[in-house]
Amino acid sequence: MNLGSYVALSAALFLIGVFGALTRRNIIGILMAIELMFNAANINLAAFNRYLHPGGIIGQTLALFIISIAAAEVVVGLSLVLAIYRNTDTVYVEDYNLLKG
Amino acid sequence: MLEHVYLIPLIPLFASLVILLGFKEDPHSPAPYLGLAAMGWCLLQAVSIFWGVAGGRIVLPYEASINWFPLATEVAGKAFSYQMPIGVLIDGPAAVMLVVVTLVSFLVQLYSLGYMHGDSRFRRYYAFLSFFTASMLGLVVSNNLLVTFMCWELVGVSSYLLIGFWFEKPGPAYASKKAFMTTKLGDCGLYLALLFIFTKVGSFQIDQVREFATRGYFGMGAATAIGFGLLCGCAGKSAQWPLFIWLPDAMEGPTPVSALIHAATMVAAGIYLIAKTYFIFLAAPIAMEAVAWIGLITAFLAASMALVSYDIKRVLAFSTVSQLGFMMCALGAGGYTAGLFHLTTHAFFKGLLFLGAGSVIHAVHTNDMRSMGGLSKKMPITFLTMLAATLAISGVWPFAGYFSKDMILESVYHHSPVMFYLLTAAALMTAFYMFRLISMTFLGPDRDHEKHHHAHESPLVMTVPLMVLGLLSVVAGAALAHDGFVERLLSFPMPQTPGPEFPRALGLGVSALVLCSLALSWFLYGRGDFSIAEAVKKRFSAVFNVLEGRYYFDQLFLGLVAVADGAAKLAFWIDARVIDQTFVDGWGLLMRVFSELSALFDGLFIDRTVDGFGGLSSDLGTGLRALVADGQVQEYLLYAAIAVSLATIFILSR
Repeated sequence: MNLGSYVALSAALFLIGVFGALTRRNIIGILMAIELMFNAANINLAAFNRYLHPGGIIGQTLALFIISIAAAEVVVGLSLVLAIYRNTDTVYVEDYNLLKG
Repeated sequence: MLEHVYLIPLIPLFASLVILLGFKEDPHSPAPYLGLAAMGWCLLQAVSIFWGVAGGRIVLPYEASINWFPLATEVAGKAFSYQMPIGVLIDGPAAVMLVVVTLVSFLVQLYSLGYMHGDSRFRRYYAFLSFFTASMLGLVVSNNLLVTFMCWELVGVSSYLLIGFWFEKPGPAYASKKAFMTTKLGDCGLYLALLFIFTKVGSFQIDQVREFATRGYFGMGAATAIGFGLLCGCAGKSAQWPLFIWLPDAMEGPTPVSALIHAATMVAAGIYLIAKTYFIFLAAPIAMEAVAWIGLITAFLAASMALVSYDIKRVLAFSTVSQLGFMMCALGAGGYTAGLFHLTTHAFFKGLLFLGAGSVIHAVHTNDMRSMGGLSKKMPITFLTMLAATLAISGVWPFAGYFSKDMILESVYHHSPVMFYLLTAAALMTAFYMFRLISMTFLGPDRDHEKHHHAHESPLVMTVPLMVLGLLSVVAGAALAHDGFVERLLSFPMPQTPGPEFPRALGLGVSALVLCSLALSWFLYGRGDFSIAEAVKKRFSAVFNVLEGRYYFDQLFLGLVAVADGAAKLAFWIDARVIDQTFVDGWGLLMRVFSELSALFDGLFIDRTVDGFGGLSSDLGTGLRALVADGQVQEYLLYAAIAVSLATIFILSR
């Protein structure tokens, strides 16, 4: 397996995440798509670390950080989603228009 | 002994400060005794120096100085740091002047114990007297022209304070102001002369300036300019024509102060300064000639004015002016010794005359000689001493004035016989008006019985100074002239000039004429019957009016002041009307119009442009918002994604 495969996997995963985030109507789905993009970045970190600096662990460490931060982010995101849901009784983002200027 | 000579000015200065700060104002305060003690000490020092010089134990000149402060300066294109010295220079004239000043000041202070007794500002009076004397002593001993000038101004200040001592009266207040301003007028010239000297020589030290001058480094023009500047200052201080107007008014001060001013401290300063800077005048014959002529004019005019005055002190004041003119004339004519000799003897008899006049005024409480008369019986000591002084000032052998006046006439004759004849006329007038004063005051019948009845001889504290000065008026001339002592003491090396020798017969003739003048004066005024004098006065009333109007010099000066005042008013008018209204206000108006235009332009073009850009961005924002912002979060994300993609493409395709 070479680095290109990993980077291709990561890019595919990221694009799937972007696509999901742009197209899902359900806000939970959007959050999940965002998780995909995180993990695409994590794959990149681990792969580049493995191939460019085989002795180092900085990439893996950073990936671990991102995983934990993503978990925290999901907690915040889900609680925000809950708050919004209680206010608007919907999980479809096209119904959210608080940012409308 | 000479190494402590610097204490001579410092001790009276210190005494005056102690009196001023340490004593309470009280008519019976002990302050005068401090002043007297200080002056007595100085007198002893001065006399011992003089005695040492006379005995040949002290060799003059003596000079010592310390550096005072450095002064960065530039002379003739060379920058250097000038160490300003302060120190003493004792030469023959200084040794004599020290004795004269301290003696007269001591006697005046002693006399004032009686004369000023019970005055409400007794303490202040003594502080000022000490300060006055200290300033003059500083001027006498200084070896540095700038310090001399400083003391010169201090003399001016203290004379202002003392002439205006009774400042609550309008007369003294006016007189002190007049004296101060007139002398300052002269001091401007003196100051310029000193600055000129410094720019030429790069030093204020007298011996260095002298060295410079005697080697002929001053050009003729520079020396003449400096000489005229010095003459200007000395004419102001020594009351020479045309700045003599202040001295006759200066008698508004207490009479002992007049004695001090006229004899020792104030007017002597001018003559002394001319003598001190004589080398400059030797380098500038035109300035020298001007000194002589100014002295001559002064001597003549003042003597003629004294002929008609009825105020006893005013006669004496004119007489001082006239005698100072004699000294000036002598100095200008090359009679250095004669001028300073006369300064010395004059100090004794003029101090005496003023103190005597003070004694008379103290007795009769008036200045007007017309209400005196017949006082010789009542005040024998005053009469006899004043008579001695009168004979001395008239130049009768063997009184002091004879020797000095003879010497003056001799040197003036040597210079120019014409000046000699004019000066002789002034000398004859001197004899006449002085004996007129004696006649009207002491001889004849009493004209005011009440005043005459209350008159009495002054107390001993006032008559002792009279007697001391009387003795000196008799013997000082002969003693100093004895064996050529005065020529050795007061000499100045100068080139011999050709001129006619003074015939001895002429001297005898002058003496005879002086006696005739005295006799004429007695004939007109001494017999209690003024009818002939009054007839003469009526006959020549025009001349008398001019003389009594003091040749209208006061009016001339007031006129000059009025002209200056008018010029100032005109200048003010021009300033207010033309400069302010046309230039300042007009310029302001112009600026205002211009700024209005500028504001209009600003509003029309600049602001519109700025506002236009602002409005444009605002409109653009509003339009874009209407286009994109419908609050859909995925739409925003899409834009972000597109932007990132575009950025990525841009970066990668570079």
